[in-house]
Amino acid sequence: MSAERAPGLLAGDSLNLRLARRSLGLIALCLVLLPFADLAITTHDPWAELERMLSGLLHPDILATQSLPHAIALTIGFALWGTLLGVVLGFPLALLFPRSRLLRGSCAFVRAIHELFWALLLLQVFGLSAVTAIAALTIPYAGIFAKVYAEILELTPRAPVDALPEGVGRLSRFVYAELPMVWARLSSYTRYRFECAMRSSVLLGFVGLPTLGFHLESAFREGRYPEAGALLWVFYLMIASLHLWGHRRLLPWIALGSLFLLGPWPDIDGALLWRFVSVDLWPKPLLEGNWSGLWQWFGEIPDLLPAIGNTLLLGLMGTAGSLVVALLLWPMASHHFGNRPTRMAGKGVLILMRSTPELMLAFIFLLMLGPSMLPAWLALSLHNGALIAFLVARHADAIVPGSHALPASSRYTYELLPRLYGGLLALLFYRAETIIRETALLGMLGIATLGFHIDSSFAYLMFDQAFFLLLITAGLNIAVDALARRYRPREIADTPGERGHPGREATC
Amino acid sequence: MSVKELVRFDGEALGHARHTVLADLTLELRADERVALLGPSGVGKSTLLAALRERLGQRAAWCPQEHGLVPPLSVYHNVYMGRLERHSALANLINLLRPRRDAWRDIQALCGELGLEGLLKRPVAQLSGGQRQRVAIARALYQAREVFLGDEPVASIDPHQARRLLHMVQSQHATCVIALHQRELALTHFDRVWGLRDGQLILDAPARELTLDDLDTLYPDAHSSDAQPEPA
Repeated sequence: MSAERAPGLLAGDSLNLRLARRSLGLIALCLVLLPFADLAITTHDPWAELERMLSGLLHPDILATQSLPHAIALTIGFALWGTLLGVVLGFPLALLFPRSRLLRGSCAFVRAIHELFWALLLLQVFGLSAVTAIAALTIPYAGIFAKVYAEILELTPRAPVDALPEGVGRLSRFVYAELPMVWARLSSYTRYRFECAMRSSVLLGFVGLPTLGFHLESAFREGRYPEAGALLWVFYLMIASLHLWGHRRLLPWIALGSLFLLGPWPDIDGALLWRFVSVDLWPKPLLEGNWSGLWQWFGEIPDLLPAIGNTLLLGLMGTAGSLVVALLLWPMASHHFGNRPTRMAGKGVLILMRSTPELMLAFIFLLMLGPSMLPAWLALSLHNGALIAFLVARHADAIVPGSHALPASSRYTYELLPRLYGGLLALLFYRAETIIRETALLGMLGIATLGFHIDSSFAYLMFDQAFFLLLITAGLNIAVDALARRYRPREIADTPGERGHPGREATC
Repeated sequence: MSVKELVRFDGEALGHARHTVLADLTLELRADERVALLGPSGVGKSTLLAALRERLGQRAAWCPQEHGLVPPLSVYHNVYMGRLERHSALANLINLLRPRRDAWRDIQALCGELGLEGLLKRPVAQLSGGQRQRVAIARALYQAREVFLGDEPVASIDPHQARRLLHMVQSQHATCVIALHQRELALTHFDRVWGLRDGQLILDAPARELTLDDLDTLYPDAHSSDAQPEPA
C-alpha cells in the first residue's frame, strides 16, 4: 500500500499552480536577461533632484506659465475632437469588422502605432497644427473603436430581435432591438477612451504641439520645478474632475466652443502631400526596383537589431516589473487590509501613478537618474503595476472572505490571492501589448529602443527610414499581442459582467 | 359544418438542429378556437409556439416572455416595435427621437386599458415584472393580427388581473394559442386544451369535457405534492 506523497515545490496541475509557474518563468527570464540591460545611474545626485522636484510639487507656482488657459483648452479640444472623429470612423468599421480580414488587419496596424508616432509622421505634412494633433488621436482610435465596438456588438442579446415581427428592415432592427441593448457598454467604453485621449493629448506637447505637455516638458527640462509642479497639479485636476465637466449634455457644447480655439489650421498643399505619401515614405531603391540597392539601404539603418532587442527586453522587464508592483501594491487600496486613512492614501497613490502617463513618469525619472533603461523600467513598472493593482483591489473588494480571524498575511496568501491571481495575470497579459507600445515610444526620451531611431530619423528628414522603423514597431507590437493572447489565462473566475474582457478598461 | 383550418401538423418532429423536442406531433389549429397550451416547464411549449409562429407568419401576433423586450427603451417604443415593419426605416428612426402622434395616441389608449397609464415614457428597465409582462402583451395587441400566440403572457400576474388580460386578448383575437401554467384558467377561458408531456401531445380535447384532475395528469408530481398529503 502506498501512501500519497506530498507534491514537490510548485508541482501539481491546478490552475493557480500553472499560473504560478508561468509567472515565475516570466520573472526568471527577466532576471537572466537583466545583465544585458543598461541600468546605470548617471546623474550626480538623484536624491537632491527628487527633493527639488517634490518641493516644486509642494510649492506650485500657478502663475508662472503664460497662456495656461489656452493650453488647457487646446488639450481638451484635441482630446474631444480626436475621440469624436474616432467614433465617427470607428463605428461603421465595427459593423464590417467581423466580416473583413483585411479590415481587421488594418485596424491592428493603426492601433499598433502610438499616438505620438502618428503625430511625428503627420507633423511632416501638416506641421504643428490642429490637424496633426486631432488626426494623431483619431487614426489609432478609429482602429481601437472598430475592434472594441465590434466585440461589444457581438455580445448583443438575441431575444429582442427574435421577438420582432416578420419583415422588419435591417436598420430598424438594429436601432430598436440591438443598439439599445449595448448602448450603455458602448458609451462607457467611449468615455474611458476619452480619458485616455486626455492623457495622450497632454503628451502631444512632447513633440511640440502647444498642449499642457509642451509647457510641462519645458518647465521640467529647464528645472523650473514650481511651474512644473503647478502644471502637474492642473493635469491631475483635469483628469480627476472629468466626471464633473465631462457630462453627456455638456460635451457637445465644449466640442463646439473649442472649435473657435483650436488651431492653427495648416495650408494643405496637395502636391506636397502626395509626394510625401507616394515618394518620401518609401526607400528610393524600392521605388526604382533596384534590389541590390535595397539591400544596401537596409544595411544603412543604424543599430536595427539592438533597437529591436532593447525594445523587447525593456518590454519584458516592464511586464515582469508591473507584475511585482501589482502584487505588492493592490492590498493598499483594498478594504481587506489597513484602515480607512491608509486605504485613502493607498488609493490616492495608485490613482496618481496610473493617471500619469509612462512617458511623463519616465521623463521625470530620466531627469533624476540620467539616460539609461532604468527610468523607463521604473516608469513602466510603476504605471502599469499601479493600474493593475487598482483594478485587482476593486475585484478583491467584491470578495467576502470565508474566515475573518486570519492575520493579514494569511488572508493575502490563502483567502484572496488564489481567487484574484488569474484575473491579475489576465490583466497583465492584456497590458503587455500596451507596454511594448509604450516601450517603443519611450525611445523618444533617448533610451535606445525603436522610438529613439524613429525620432532621430524624422529629425534627419529620413522619412523612408522612419516609416520603415514604424512598420517594424507595429509588427513587433502585433506579434507581442498575439503571444500575450496565447499565454493569457482564460479559465479565470471573474465577475460575469466582465467575463471574457476583464482588460477592456486597461488598454491605454 | 365546415371549420377553417389554419395550421396542421401531421406526424412531424419539432426541435433544434440535432435535438428533437416534440416527436411525431399531430394536431391542427382551427380558426375561432381559443387554445390553452399546458405542460411542465421545459416540455416543449415554446418549441411548439415557435413552429406555429413560423407557419402563420404575418397572421400571428407574437407575445414572448418578457426577455423579448428592450429594457433601455421606453414603454412607448417597446410597444411601437409591434408595428416596426409597417413603417419605413427613416420613419422609425425619427420616431425614436420624436414619437409619431398617431402611434402615441393609439399606444396611450392601449396602455391605459392594460393599467400602464402614465408609464409610456418610462424605460422598461425600471418596471416591475408584472408591468413588463403587460408591456409584452401590449406589444402583441398593437400588432393587430388574426391569431394571438402567447408564451406564458400571464405567468407572474395575479389571478384576477390574469383573467382580465386574457379577456382583453381574446376579445381582439378569435383565435389564440396561449401557454399557461394556471390550470383553472385553461378550463374557464379556453375552448380547447393541448397538453404536452414527455415530448408528446397527450391531451387534445375541448375544455368543457375536461376536469382539473384530467389536467393534473400532465404534471408528473402533481398528486404527491398538492393533491393530497403523502401517506405517513
